[in-house]
Amino acid sequence: MKRFRSELSVAFAIVALLIVLAFLAPGFFTRENLSDLVLANMPVLIVALGMTLVIVTGHIDISVGTTFAICSVAAGEFAKLGLPAVGAGMAACVIGAMLGAINGALVAYVRIPSIVVTLAAMVAFRDALRWITQGAWVQDLPANFQWLGTSQAASNGITFLVAAALVISIGWGLRNLPAGRSVYATGSNENAARLVGIDSALVTFSVFAITGALTGCAALLNSIRFNQIPSNAGIGMEMKVITAVVVGGTAITGGRGSIQGTLLGVILLGIISPALTYLGFSAYWERAIQGLIILCAVGFDAVRSRLERSAGDFAERTA
Amino acid sequence: MPNALHKNWRERWFPNGEWMVLLALIAEIGIFSSVAQNFFTTANFVEVIRLSVELGLLALALTPVIITGGIDLSVGSMMGLSAVVFGALVMDWHWPVAAAAFATLLIGCAGGALNGMLIAEFKIPALIVTLGSFSAFRGIAEGITHGAVNYSGFPKSFLFLGQGYLLGVPAQLPVLLIAMIGYGLLLHRSVIGRGLYAIGLAGNGARWAGIAVGRRIGLVYFLSGFAASVAAIIYVAHLGQAKSDAGTGYELDAITAVVLGGASVAGGRGTILGTVLGLFSISILQNGLHLAALPSELTGILTGTVLVLTIAIDRMRARGRTLIQEEAIEMKNSQVAILCGAILAGALITAGANVWLVRSLKTMPSSASGGHTAVIAVMPKAKGDPYFVSCRTGAEEAARELGVELIWDGPTGLDAAKQNEIVESWITRGVDAIAVAVENQAGISTVLRKARQRGIHVLTWDADAEPDAREYFLNQATPEGIGNALTDEAARLLGGKGDFAIITGALSAANQNQWIAFIKKRAQEKYPGLNMVTIRPSDDDRDKAFSETQTILKVHPTVKLIMAISAPAVPGAGEAMRQSGRKDVDVIGLSLPGICKPYIHDGVVQTIFLWNTKNLGYLTVYAGAMLSQNKIPAGATSIQAGRLGSLEINGSQIILGAPLLIDKRNIDKLDF
Amino acid sequence: MSDLVLEAISISKAFAGVKALRSVSFELRPGEVHALIGENGAGKSTLIKIITGAVKPDAGSISVRGEHVLQMDPRLSKALGIAAIYQQPSLFPDLTVAENIALALETGGAWRTLDWKARSRRASQLLERAGASGTSIGPERLVSTLSMPEQQLVEIAKAIGADARIVIMDEPTASLTEREVESLFQVIARLRSEGVGVIYISHRLEEIAAVADRVTVLRDGESIATKRMDEVDRSELIRMMVGRELGSIFPKREIAMGEIVLELRDVSSRAAGMHHVSLNVRKGEILGIAGLVGSGRTELAETIFGLTPADSGEILLRGERVAITSPTDAIRRGIGYVPEDRPRHGAVLEMSIAANTSLANLRRVARHGLIDRDMERRLADKFVEQLRIKTPSVDMEVGALSGGNQQKVALARWLAIDPTVLILDEPTQGVDVGSKSEIHSLMADLAEQGLAIVMISSELPELLGMSDRIAVMHAGGIRGTLDRKDATQQSILSLALGHAA
Repeated sequence: MKRFRSELSVAFAIVALLIVLAFLAPGFFTRENLSDLVLANMPVLIVALGMTLVIVTGHIDISVGTTFAICSVAAGEFAKLGLPAVGAGMAACVIGAMLGAINGALVAYVRIPSIVVTLAAMVAFRDALRWITQGAWVQDLPANFQWLGTSQAASNGITFLVAAALVISIGWGLRNLPAGRSVYATGSNENAARLVGIDSALVTFSVFAITGALTGCAALLNSIRFNQIPSNAGIGMEMKVITAVVVGGTAITGGRGSIQGTLLGVILLGIISPALTYLGFSAYWERAIQGLIILCAVGFDAVRSRLERSAGDFAERTA
Repeated sequence: MPNALHKNWRERWFPNGEWMVLLALIAEIGIFSSVAQNFFTTANFVEVIRLSVELGLLALALTPVIITGGIDLSVGSMMGLSAVVFGALVMDWHWPVAAAAFATLLIGCAGGALNGMLIAEFKIPALIVTLGSFSAFRGIAEGITHGAVNYSGFPKSFLFLGQGYLLGVPAQLPVLLIAMIGYGLLLHRSVIGRGLYAIGLAGNGARWAGIAVGRRIGLVYFLSGFAASVAAIIYVAHLGQAKSDAGTGYELDAITAVVLGGASVAGGRGTILGTVLGLFSISILQNGLHLAALPSELTGILTGTVLVLTIAIDRMRARGRTLIQEEAIEMKNSQVAILCGAILAGALITAGANVWLVRSLKTMPSSASGGHTAVIAVMPKAKGDPYFVSCRTGAEEAARELGVELIWDGPTGLDAAKQNEIVESWITRGVDAIAVAVENQAGISTVLRKARQRGIHVLTWDADAEPDAREYFLNQATPEGIGNALTDEAARLLGGKGDFAIITGALSAANQNQWIAFIKKRAQEKYPGLNMVTIRPSDDDRDKAFSETQTILKVHPTVKLIMAISAPAVPGAGEAMRQSGRKDVDVIGLSLPGICKPYIHDGVVQTIFLWNTKNLGYLTVYAGAMLSQNKIPAGATSIQAGRLGSLEINGSQIILGAPLLIDKRNIDKLDF
Repeated sequence: MSDLVLEAISISKAFAGVKALRSVSFELRPGEVHALIGENGAGKSTLIKIITGAVKPDAGSISVRGEHVLQMDPRLSKALGIAAIYQQPSLFPDLTVAENIALALETGGAWRTLDWKARSRRASQLLERAGASGTSIGPERLVSTLSMPEQQLVEIAKAIGADARIVIMDEPTASLTEREVESLFQVIARLRSEGVGVIYISHRLEEIAAVADRVTVLRDGESIATKRMDEVDRSELIRMMVGRELGSIFPKREIAMGEIVLELRDVSSRAAGMHHVSLNVRKGEILGIAGLVGSGRTELAETIFGLTPADSGEILLRGERVAITSPTDAIRRGIGYVPEDRPRHGAVLEMSIAANTSLANLRRVARHGLIDRDMERRLADKFVEQLRIKTPSVDMEVGALSGGNQQKVALARWLAIDPTVLILDEPTQGVDVGSKSEIHSLMADLAEQGLAIVMISSELPELLGMSDRIAVMHAGGIRGTLDRKDATQQSILSLALGHAA
């Protein structure tokens, strides 16, 4: 149980919120609403998977919103060129991975702090996209683009399966593959990682590239739910994603964190806003309430780990 | 003491490679002096300084924060909160300006102290704390004002602080100078500043030298909250308005300026001189691009590139120096391959973007040579918005037809301060006519009056400024007309009775808030049976409008009509409706026919309202050209506007026509 | 000679012109514990680094099990079965014990599946073999929750698991309790019976007598002798290590002592793990503090300096009761503290000499809160001259200076506050022999000028040579205080090990 302790406070907050909803707004639990919520939070979840890797290695990527927009537009443009939706999706993932690789190379090999690299990428690529598209949406997509040419239910099913597969495989791989453990090792103690033969620069590079690819995947899965693609997608997405990951118990200093925590973080942030709507709160106070919930969650966590640390000190002194 | 023992001047003044930023700055000035009109003038530099004050205050405040190894993402949000508090105290509570300013500064200090306490006392990483307060401060500001209240009408004596001149320099310049000197002394001369560097370099180890680490760290966040509220007051005086969106995105610009100036995000390195150089290299870049009529998107691209390049070069040099001492970083072939691949990928993307660009440039009109070509500068509210993109087509058509040069530029997102900045640069450049789609009436009027004094013809379009600040307003539809048309249509579809919900843009969007006011008024006066259940924001994001609609449908099952009043919100609401399969709920709204076409054909969206945006763009340039050739006599009651024929002039308004009702019958005839 | 597991022949190494090792030879037999002793700076750690491949020798050769190794590097040395256990473990704090062990041992592709149960099983086995069976170290505990000795046991488990044939232990008992030392010796015995060669580095001669088969003494980069343990006695070892008569080389001067400047009465600090400490220092006196690492010496200094304030007892300065709750308080009252960990706490390496000198007393060079650069530079110049700091300019970064000069800058910082009490924690650690005696004579000068000096040291000769009295600490308390004339290495050591005086 110890291993999941940092996730407990988030799980507790979710359960508390759900209990309140069960009494005051049982309509929240309709199948339809739940499936809508899952689909609406899918992009944030998939990007958050990658962000978890990045933050566990002790870095940060604030360019994901921009990457998301670029990949969305690219997927649409490729589809219009005649590629089938799956091929267009692949292309979007490759472009995402390339953008991530640029960030990763600058962070891992040129050793520029990740916040600077991804800040520059966020601003520069966003403006480049604006310039190229001039704000125009991608329209007149081929008929087989929306819903991948199948039905809405089938497509939603596929989306759900892909997301579930990603969560499970990354969650499992992070826990059970040496490749996954090397992410933790790099974030926990980079020097010690090198001593046991882990190529920590390659690990850092890879997590950024993977995050880019996952962002591309999220962009595709989001785009196929509509029949046109806006060019200004993903503004502010980085904040949502980072918040979800951090609320899910991943340490911003690296080394600690988990996919199940991130999943819980995404769920908590994903249900706050609709829950407040169901409970009849005005939209005007939502952002303030969200900010306060984040501050409380991390504050609570900090106080707890402080207590733990002083207990650890005590153990050390008396040993 | 012999001179040789001192460090040489370069290391003394530029310890972190700031000279590279200085070189970049000189290069910028050199390039823009030759390509941009009226760039190298005193008047222009004075304006650049005025526009740099708010950002400069934040960047100065962030310098010590970053030197201690921290970060403060909440400064922009604190500006929003402070602006709103200040506005409320002066306009609602009728406090004297001085007292209100004092109270506002206290709010800034309190917010900064909160950050500082959580970081220094509870040892929570600064990134997380300020990420939380980033949301919380902005959220409180929106909560207080419901996002909508826009305080304006401040006393003239107060506005002087942001708009007036003191001995020929902008009145807010002394504030920036005091802040520069103050922070310079604090960091480089004072006992406290030395401690901040020690904290950045040695972290907690600074305690061993008797430095009160917690208190010093608390202090820098406290000061940054304070500086943000000072910046907010100047911002209010500068724009003449206080709204909850003040300072949005400023935190990233400020961090960019500091980091560009050579500060290390790991702490311990950075100078005020570097920050000032970084600040001006950003603001001169923006100003120069406007004056050279280059698209403002280049700002982000160039800033990002310069940021990464300066640090990368610095890193490479540093590595060369320490290679002997450190264990050499041995690069394996695979790593070199990856690095090369990444660089290649970057180059490919850039090249691809250029090809795309060249293609898009080809369609742009080339300005006619020989003789004086009238230059008409037209500004949308936001460049990327599909609505304004479609206006642009008409504007370009008119420019081709009349053989005038068209400058089309504006903020990339809704940003009143940026609009002022661009108008200022157009005045400096000396264009013949300026036409602005006004984001904020009070804010832009001063600068438009200034343009008129300089003999530039001024028009407003889409949304009006104060009447004496422009010659004509190209009126496509009044907020009242839009509000009434939407309400009437809703009443018609609902049979005069029933619940409806509104999906707006951002909660703080001025236009939408005006429309909502008229919708409410009309419903109250004329349709007592209509009941507005809720207003939800879409932040001009199609996907957010989509999920908000889904939620509304479930939470309020009685809602029979969704009124989406932001262009991307209508397709979002339409898609949600289509996927829900609810046939009993209607969608109406204000949007572009192009992006709504599929939904109107499906019958998911019943009606949208809009004027002919292409014609609006056409008329804007046409009227601008006629004004600049003095072809509109005073007291005229109509003008001949090219293919639009004769249009009525009502007072100082040129009427485009009533809002267009777009539905199944006519949508295929519209091409925008 | 193929019965040697390790042979290093005529190893020489110089750092920036300073000879760290001069033609040192060293050999290790299977099943042998070979102790390596010498004063700090004698060249022990350099030799170890060369054996593990972290540093390349300038001359000499290394053979492992009879095979000549051309180019030793860390990976190769690991593959050859060499494992090193350092005083400061290099573990992953956020990962479990089992995983820390596994990461060091497992080989194979990045995409195979991990068997957590097997990892955990193996970790328990190895921990048991390492002698951790009686402790609370479970395979699933996070390393960040382990104490220092527990982390050391994890390192030992790693070495056992790696099936190492050569295990290097660098001061492994420095922070262990007696019982833990006991069980460590059992582990060593087991390793030895399995034919593993152990290189054992320690300052504790008693331990060496108990555990080692042979001993090699290094002094100033040279190998003085290699002897069987039963051929030598302690005093001979000390003579070989020090190589000179004690007392003669220490510039100790007889000074008439003044009144008591600093007095501690029954001071305890729970956070520092220190209890019921009473001591006093007089004007002009040098009080030595002896004790093993972890005995509470540094904690005592940190309590006096206000880093971990006392929670009971009294601290008196010139007979006046004072409350010292922060370093700022201590500095204001004229207490200076030159800490042990110089790069982290003693000096800010990236700052100039001038900035470091003034850092603890910026007011002295400031007017109205603003620093006067010329005044600051004059102050630094004064100390550069007084302490004979070798530098072209006071604008030099401290990190560019040698260890001895860095230590002098750290000292200058505290002299700049015009202290009445100066606490020196390991003042000559990592400092070359030349600077060492300079620092010693400085201390004598300062005492003569009327300073009360508290000197913490692990080096017995230094303590015996410089102190007027020596207080010996054990397990967070003072075991006894010896006068200069009564103090011997034996008497200090037996107190330090917890025996009554």
